[in-house]
Amino acid sequence: MLRITGGSVYDPANSINGEVRDLYIADGKFVDKESCDSGRVIDATGMIIFPGGVDVHTHVAGGSINFARAMTPEDHRRTQAFIRTKTRRSGLGGMAPTTFATGYLYAGMGYTTVNEAAVPVLSARHTHEELSDIPIVDKSSLVLMANNEIFLDLLEEGETERAKQVIAWYLWAAKAYGIKAVNPGGVAAWKYGDNASQLTEPVSGYKNVTPGNIVAQLAQIIDELGIPHPIHLHCNNLGAPGNVSTTLETMKHLEGRRAHFAHLQYHAYGGDDWGTMRSASVELAEYFNAHPNMTTDAGAVLFGDTVTITADGPWQHLLYKLTGRKWGNLDVENETGCGIVPYTYKPSNLVNAVQWATGLELLLLIDDPWRVFMSTDHPNGACFWRYPEILQLLMSADFRKECMACLPANIKNRITLPEIDREYTLYELATIISAGPARALGLKQKGNLGVGADADVVIYNRNVNIAEMFGHPRYVIKSGEIVIEEGDIRETPDGREYIIKPSFDPGTDDFLQPLFEDRYCMSFENYPVEMERIENPHLQDCKPQQ
Amino acid sequence: MQKSRFLPRGRKDRTMVLVDIRETKSVKAADIFLQVRPGKDFELLTILRAMIKDQPISDAEVAETGVSIEALQDLVARMKAAKFGAMFFGMGLSMTRGKHMNSAALLTLAAEMNAFTKFVAMPMRGHGNVTGADVIMRWQTGYPFGISFNRGYPRYNPGEFSTVDVLVRGDTDCVFVIGADPGATMPQPAIDHLARVPTIVLDPHVTHTSRLAKVHITTAPAGISAPGTAYRMDEIPLPLRPALKSSYPTDEEVTRRIKEAIQAKPDWMVEGPQRLETQV
Amino acid sequence: MDLKVIDHATCTFCGCVCDDIQLHADDTRIHKAKGACVLGKAWFLNHTTERNCPAALIDGKEATVEEAIQVAADLLYEADMPLVYGMSNTTCEAQRECVAMADLLGGLLDSHTSL
Ligand code: SF4
Ligand SMILES: [Zn+2]
Repeated sequence: MLRITGGSVYDPANSINGEVRDLYIADGKFVDKESCDSGRVIDATGMIIFPGGVDVHTHVAGGSINFARAMTPEDHRRTQAFIRTKTRRSGLGGMAPTTFATGYLYAGMGYTTVNEAAVPVLSARHTHEELSDIPIVDKSSLVLMANNEIFLDLLEEGETERAKQVIAWYLWAAKAYGIKAVNPGGVAAWKYGDNASQLTEPVSGYKNVTPGNIVAQLAQIIDELGIPHPIHLHCNNLGAPGNVSTTLETMKHLEGRRAHFAHLQYHAYGGDDWGTMRSASVELAEYFNAHPNMTTDAGAVLFGDTVTITADGPWQHLLYKLTGRKWGNLDVENETGCGIVPYTYKPSNLVNAVQWATGLELLLLIDDPWRVFMSTDHPNGACFWRYPEILQLLMSADFRKECMACLPANIKNRITLPEIDREYTLYELATIISAGPARALGLKQKGNLGVGADADVVIYNRNVNIAEMFGHPRYVIKSGEIVIEEGDIRETPDGREYIIKPSFDPGTDDFLQPLFEDRYCMSFENYPVEMERIENPHLQDCKPQQ
Repeated sequence: MQKSRFLPRGRKDRTMVLVDIRETKSVKAADIFLQVRPGKDFELLTILRAMIKDQPISDAEVAETGVSIEALQDLVARMKAAKFGAMFFGMGLSMTRGKHMNSAALLTLAAEMNAFTKFVAMPMRGHGNVTGADVIMRWQTGYPFGISFNRGYPRYNPGEFSTVDVLVRGDTDCVFVIGADPGATMPQPAIDHLARVPTIVLDPHVTHTSRLAKVHITTAPAGISAPGTAYRMDEIPLPLRPALKSSYPTDEEVTRRIKEAIQAKPDWMVEGPQRLETQV
Repeated sequence: MDLKVIDHATCTFCGCVCDDIQLHADDTRIHKAKGACVLGKAWFLNHTTERNCPAALIDGKEATVEEAIQVAADLLYEADMPLVYGMSNTTCEAQRECVAMADLLGGLLDSHTSL
């Protein structure tokens, strides 16, 4: 049991805005005062208390980040090393941290839940093995579906009911938590060197299937299956100048439905080419603000070195051609693919400067903090352990001005950041890093300090240096256990993994088997991930919405 | 062979080109065989890289490779006309004259082919689950092989920490060998060192290495009588379905028990928490 | 004798790791490996459950597994620079234990990739 007394509590899920409250913890959950009569007391007088952070979109486990690890040995060498102790494995931080270090670094900045956002079903077994080696934090994962050949074939034939059964089957086979759509149709076309850039044009190889109907159908299926997290969408034309029109069009296709738009920054550009590229955050935020069905994460960019990894294979090929740096490409049979390119964002580079501003603009122009969340699309825009730097930019308009002084002079007219004076409050920050993403993921027990919720909580010393305050919490408590104290790692317990089991017709196996055997080079029977492989599985409910 | 939407006739829609220094049994399975002169892989790959971009090449350079210019022109035309090209390469490329330079040339050729059509390249991995070892070391340590933990965290330096070099220099004083038989495959000076230091072997059979080892423990063979997982060379993990029961323990069990016996001893590492430094 | 059939068995002899093998086995050996190539067939058919090898050897003399584990742990613990090597013909589960052990020992770790 544990009591935390005297701290200023920021708990947006319960509308508590900085009031002094005592928190009581027993058996890993928040309880009422009566149920907690002994144990350690943390005197948090003068300190700030947040629910543990929840990352709605990150890439920390599986084939693609592991490929990135192989491609960046030069980075591992210069990063912080975590030395082994009697109870803790060694690890390395950096752009693509090792699994153990990923847990230490997330917990080290107060994050206690992470959502791995891109898992091919075919290699889900691998992802789960890595997730089980990420200590401390709780985990969930999203499977890639928008380029799956069997699914696209069913859409082509108009077999939407069957498609729903198949999607539910795939989700359970992967032991996943939700569905991610990446460049719908474009990754399938990339198998033959093509892309899909027009929302209403058929995907190559199909007559009726368009990116637009892939997303609309997926969103519909996800609602009908009652999957807690809405469609998690990486739109077509990521990174391309002028792509805001595609993004807005996609949003219109999803009007009236739940949808989460991943790393919106990469989809918010105006202009016609690299020379005229500008931020289109104003028009995008305006549309977004008027449509409460949607949530998004920023996908913000920070200057510095990173490695980009995305299922968006055609985009990565373009990035390789632009930069001439190392390029890795993985094709995952008929399901999806992935590209990996190391990248350095430079303030002197006009495109990078626009990207940096666009991410911040979206966070500042979207007015409801319950709908826009902290993310860098780790490691694409920046590594997750740099989130505190972004929090500082959000909380201080002066600091933003200081940083803008380093941008190229011709950026003027391309960004709106200089005109925005909004500064985030602590209450809003607690919403975008914890309460909001937890709600969007449908994890009611997270991002919430109310009685019955998981006792994941962060205690910060007040500090005028915001980045330092959020980068080095005084205490981090996970499931009631103190894991970080004064910047030191204390305990590294295993986290749990959230999965769902949407119901599907038992005949789906028989339907899929012959199709599968035609397309895959793996036995159907060996394909689904066995339940025994999931460490501490927690089944979340699916509640179909009609 | 799999039929697909774009290759409806299966094998008939595919072209297999085999490049080797001699006519092997695989020639029968191939549509085209190109015999390259030993040690000329790098030259051949570099010529192909030039040819796909229509850069000039000299007859003398082509002649050196042992492959005719007509055959190369035909190959380039086929590569560019392919819908999806794949190159597989093995130790005949990566372990002969030029070594990693050869692999780099081939990977660059694959990358550059994407200016014309979709192309990929993949190493052919030998020996069962060597891919699994590679994948696991990467996620747990950041590096694929050649790792030292002697500072308490992983460091990587092939040539310094890779086994043959370590053994030849005599830089280890105890060797644990599992799922390999270096006593049969390594250069003699390396084998001599294995015999000199206490070596521990886990293997389903008494191997060459077992015979010069201090300790041998017989274990159940993976996939025959030991369950678990193995990675295919394209990094897809597959479950094993053992058909036999073994009275020998598995590698996993024995290794875990040795690890636990070591854990039970006083730890040489300093105790205490570790500060999370600011990352760079 | 009971003959059992295992479908979708996985061959780990080479890097292809074919997982569409049908095995026919009795209590002591595999008689048939349908779908495997020549190498795979030889791999499956060559193993038996007979105890042809001693449980363990220490200095060439027969020993129990328990004794061998203890001696191995002592030797690895006492070494200044132990090396954990190989990990090809084994399972991922064993490989994870190997990496953990090398981490614990502060030693060297290398796979069969370096020959
Ligand atoms: S059956 Fe043949 S090709 Fe397949 S894994 Fe075994 S040895 Fe390799
Ligand atoms: Zn992403």
